[in-house]
Amino acid sequence: MARTKIGAKLSAVFAVSALLISACGSSSAEGSGGTVTYLTHAEQILHLDPQRNYTGQDLAFSVTYLTRSLVSYAPGAGAAGTELVADLATDIGTPSEDLKTWTFTLRDGITFEDGSPITCAEVAYGVSRSYADDLTDGPAFAEAFLDVEGGYAAYPGPYEATAEQQALFDAAVECSEDGKTITFHLNSPMADFNYTTALLTFSPVPLDEGGNVGEAYDKNIVSSGPYKIASYTTGKSLNLVRNENWSADSDPFRKALPDKVVVKFAQDEKGIDEYIINGTGPGKTALSLDGIYPDNLEAVFSSADMESRRLNDYDIYVTYTAVNVAKMTCLPIRQAVFYATDREALRALGGGSQFGGDFADGVIKPANLPTDYKPVTGYEDADPAGNVVKAQELMDQAKTECPDEYTRVTTKGITRDYADGDVARQGFAITQEALAKVGIKLNANFIDPGSYYGVILNPETQGDLSAAGWGPDWLNASTVIPPLFIDNGGFNVSQTKADPDYAAFAALVDEAKANPDRASQGAQWAALNQYVMEKMWVLPGLFTKTQYHWGSDLTGVYLWQPYGCPGFNDIGVKN
Amino acid sequence: MGIYIFRRTLYAIALLFVISLVVFVLFSALPFDPASLTCGKNCTTEVIEANRIRLGYDLPMWEQYVKFLQGIFIGRDYGHGVASFTCPAPALGYSFFRQECVTSLLITALPPTIWLAIGSVTLWVGTGILLGIWAARRRGGAPDHIINVLTVFATSMPTFLTGQMALTFLIGKFGWIPPPDYYEPYQNFPKFFSTMFLPWIVLALPGLAIYARLTRGFVLETGSEDFVRTARAKGLPEKTILWRHTLRPALSPLTTLAALDLAFMLGGAVVTEKIFSIPGLGRLTIQSVIQYDLPVIVGTTILAAAFIVVANLIVDILYSVIDPRVRLK
Amino acid sequence: MSYLEVKDLRVAFPTDDGLVQAVDGVSFNIERGKTLGIVGESGSGKSVTSLAIMSLLNRKHAIISGEVIIEGKNLITADEETVRSYRGHEMAMIFQDPMSSLHPFFSVGDQVAEAYKVHNDVSDEKAFDHAIQMLDRVGIPEPAKRASDFPHQFSGGMRQRAMIAMALCNDPSLLIADEPTTALDVTVQAQILSLIKDVQKEFNSAVIVITHDLGVVAEVADDVMVMYAGRVVERGTVNDIFYRPEMPYTVGLLSSAPRLDQVSDRLIPIEGQPPSLLRLPAGCSFAPRCFAKSHVNGDACDTTMPELLQTRPGHDVRCHLESSARISVAKQRLAGEN
Repeated sequence: MARTKIGAKLSAVFAVSALLISACGSSSAEGSGGTVTYLTHAEQILHLDPQRNYTGQDLAFSVTYLTRSLVSYAPGAGAAGTELVADLATDIGTPSEDLKTWTFTLRDGITFEDGSPITCAEVAYGVSRSYADDLTDGPAFAEAFLDVEGGYAAYPGPYEATAEQQALFDAAVECSEDGKTITFHLNSPMADFNYTTALLTFSPVPLDEGGNVGEAYDKNIVSSGPYKIASYTTGKSLNLVRNENWSADSDPFRKALPDKVVVKFAQDEKGIDEYIINGTGPGKTALSLDGIYPDNLEAVFSSADMESRRLNDYDIYVTYTAVNVAKMTCLPIRQAVFYATDREALRALGGGSQFGGDFADGVIKPANLPTDYKPVTGYEDADPAGNVVKAQELMDQAKTECPDEYTRVTTKGITRDYADGDVARQGFAITQEALAKVGIKLNANFIDPGSYYGVILNPETQGDLSAAGWGPDWLNASTVIPPLFIDNGGFNVSQTKADPDYAAFAALVDEAKANPDRASQGAQWAALNQYVMEKMWVLPGLFTKTQYHWGSDLTGVYLWQPYGCPGFNDIGVKN
Repeated sequence: MGIYIFRRTLYAIALLFVISLVVFVLFSALPFDPASLTCGKNCTTEVIEANRIRLGYDLPMWEQYVKFLQGIFIGRDYGHGVASFTCPAPALGYSFFRQECVTSLLITALPPTIWLAIGSVTLWVGTGILLGIWAARRRGGAPDHIINVLTVFATSMPTFLTGQMALTFLIGKFGWIPPPDYYEPYQNFPKFFSTMFLPWIVLALPGLAIYARLTRGFVLETGSEDFVRTARAKGLPEKTILWRHTLRPALSPLTTLAALDLAFMLGGAVVTEKIFSIPGLGRLTIQSVIQYDLPVIVGTTILAAAFIVVANLIVDILYSVIDPRVRLK
Repeated sequence: MSYLEVKDLRVAFPTDDGLVQAVDGVSFNIERGKTLGIVGESGSGKSVTSLAIMSLLNRKHAIISGEVIIEGKNLITADEETVRSYRGHEMAMIFQDPMSSLHPFFSVGDQVAEAYKVHNDVSDEKAFDHAIQMLDRVGIPEPAKRASDFPHQFSGGMRQRAMIAMALCNDPSLLIADEPTTALDVTVQAQILSLIKDVQKEFNSAVIVITHDLGVVAEVADDVMVMYAGRVVERGTVNDIFYRPEMPYTVGLLSSAPRLDQVSDRLIPIEGQPPSLLRLPAGCSFAPRCFAKSHVNGDACDTTMPELLQTRPGHDVRCHLESSARISVAKQRLAGEN
């Protein structure tokens, strides 16, 4: 995946400081009309350009209001929100027998905001844009999966491609004569390719990009959804009005409740909460896109007045400590580190059990990947506050089994990478003390948050342990286990290739990826999750939570699991 | 005078180039890699290198600077193939974070900052001078003491604190004042005014206190000058003595200070703009620093420096107008 | 009939250390066409007296009593507006340092014109024309051209001429000159003094010249008043004071100044310093420095403040010594004999 692509999604893990529980109040969304206001401290929506949009909340926002994709998740609370449904397509896609070809048929009556029809050509054009170097930050899944001969290196995207180069792409993404059918040829079998197409990478873009080609399209996207951009000023606001050329008949699920949608940027973080809590300013009909300011969590969740307008639910992330297997070669020591760690104290730093989340038992989160989750066994004696006795046993075992490694960790010590910050430094102190109890010496490498991933993804600069977090790109553990533990998977901070059993593991992963039966595939992912934990390739952290609150005149707010943020589709203003 | 201004202008332009070079060198010396910052998930060294080329950080620093200078005079092209585009001269670069030419970012961010600066500087200079005069004339009296206490209070309260409190309480908690928003004054003056006056006050408080103290000092000092006694001996009314004879000598230092303050404020009021959601240069600057958006950092720095340089020139010229003893050479 | 009558003028400044009695019961009269010289060391109260007459003392910081009567009007009790209408109009003042007394930011012509305009309902142009005329009259060459110059472009003497022009532009009946030549070159001093004499004749004003310089007094004054520690200690015609001084302080002043009309071997300074106005001696203020104290019987000098008594018509002296003794002591002293 040699691509100029930026995963902003991952960075978001560090922005999320705390999270929690309450039944998400999914009130019935009746109110149509009025203006719904979203408040955020951000200067802009990171990217509205569908081929560049790769942040959970921005994806959810865009998919609800502006950009339709081939398929989508059915908006809804809880498990209902994770179901894949047809959007621009008439169904959720048809794979070939060998799972290397996927075909989607487009609906009738689908148009852009100017009334021009959306055909296969516009979808294909949109996908081709994701190859262009000009458009950064979007996910690189098209390049990874499409059978373009020579791949990314051979096709530079539509802006620069010669006729021959374009032919390479057109061979991989085929349009029928009538423009109603689009066929994707993949370079390897994929049972869940249709989930990939829920990403906006597979959304249509007009061939002339509405006159704003390349970089400029981001602020001037041509809508295919129920709203369109009336005005968009960075640092001020994004104003959406109804797209008169959108038809509810052509859309299976979008409710399009309010008449207007406003995103107010550059709002003071504390100010946002004051508006919402007190119903001042825009607060009555506003939702904070930034969640709740940490200082205000206690107040919001202890207020009776806020009871019906707050939520505390699981987001999409799992936090963990990646264990660099190339350096930490001794399994008992890896396990000893886990047993000795005071996870209870670490969680308290991040909002405690109420807002921080649950202790993870692996990298698959039951909230968003229920099909793929099974509780991990074998670590029942891992006390959250640390099991020093067990850890000491493991260290004693290591002393005989791998004496060199034992000597290294107890004398020179091991290094853990942290994205620098107050919480990171406090966390280091806690862990250092806990590990010292079993003789492990812990050192810290505090890295500027902006360059953190650059450092830990480079095997030469990576430490023994690295703080990390992950959320699935779509609702299949195929976007968790392979990227995290397969060599070149994209985020293999654990350097699993160094493990003698890596080949066997990789074979099992390939098997699971190619399994077209979702239920048995889920069992396979659960087993691999168990495998990863037995190998202690990661030290699990938390199944994190997120909190939101909104004004008293809004209805229909719930957490939409695939994106770990409010489901915008049902949000309306009380009549 | 004409020659003087011409010479000073040349000097100012040269200075701005030096400043831009210094900013360039400083940022290249910083221990971070702008290209690696563009990389998150799915990051590989190839991705970092590709982004480095895209952002132009692959070139040696001197070449980046030459390209920057070229952009100022002939504009600069970005992008590939049909997606290419030009930032027209005077181009100060292109922000890949904001997807806009730096020059147009600056032009957009300038009016809010100008209004904020003019409003607050007028408020603080005007009110500060009036309070200072009042305190001086009631020297030792209650107003003097009250103003003294207020100035200590106002100067010791940082803007982020007063601003945050004003926002949290006056707007957020009680809803007495409309929430922050920015309107152009010529589009909707009442809304412009109602959303700006709180930022004006917050920003003006510390400056106001300083001007009150300074003016008080000037009035007391000048009030004991012989020429003020002369004015009184002529039978001039007290009003004339105060406004014409006593304050006139204070005009030079106050004008200098006010002009430099205004220039400084035109560089952007970071904290106030951030708290009150004003899309001005200050917020642009701080955001670009947070994002390591080098072209914008260079652009805002040069603009802010230009304001200071121009203000200094204007102050020097004003000096010669205000004080007959000063002659420009 | 006297133009200006000052009766029992007292000025005190409250300070943190106590009350400073700067002027203590000063009374005198002056007629138009006459010049009164007020002589004394620094702190003798001569300048404060003049400022009190002009009502230029800040009433918040000074306690003033007594009467300053001009043509029947008591300025001490008059309201601020009345006093202001007198200032610069009926009475005008010239200060010691013309550089600091002229406003550095306004042209000389403007400053003179302003003085005229404030008391006359005329246009700016007219006022400026009048200013040029005044500058001409005080001997400024090319007045029309120099009127738009600023004070820093004038020489010291020219500045004082401009000050005089400013003071005289409303034909004041009373002109007070406070050390008008002290800051000037010696050659310029004479010019300024003769200018003052000339304009006095021309305008027939009453003039008060305040100085520590007896030469100035001899040059311009008709009458002289000697002040010490806030009080008048001797008063008389210029001849009385210069040729028949009786108060030892006056004698001391004369004997410490060079004179061209008398031959003397040496100058004899007055010993000691003027007393602090905060803590005046119980008796005669001058007693601690008085060379003639031994000629007074008893301890009158240390216990009682002598009255200001007439020794001859028009010549008053404040001293415990007998008149005859005073004259002989003075003669010896002036001859340089003790």
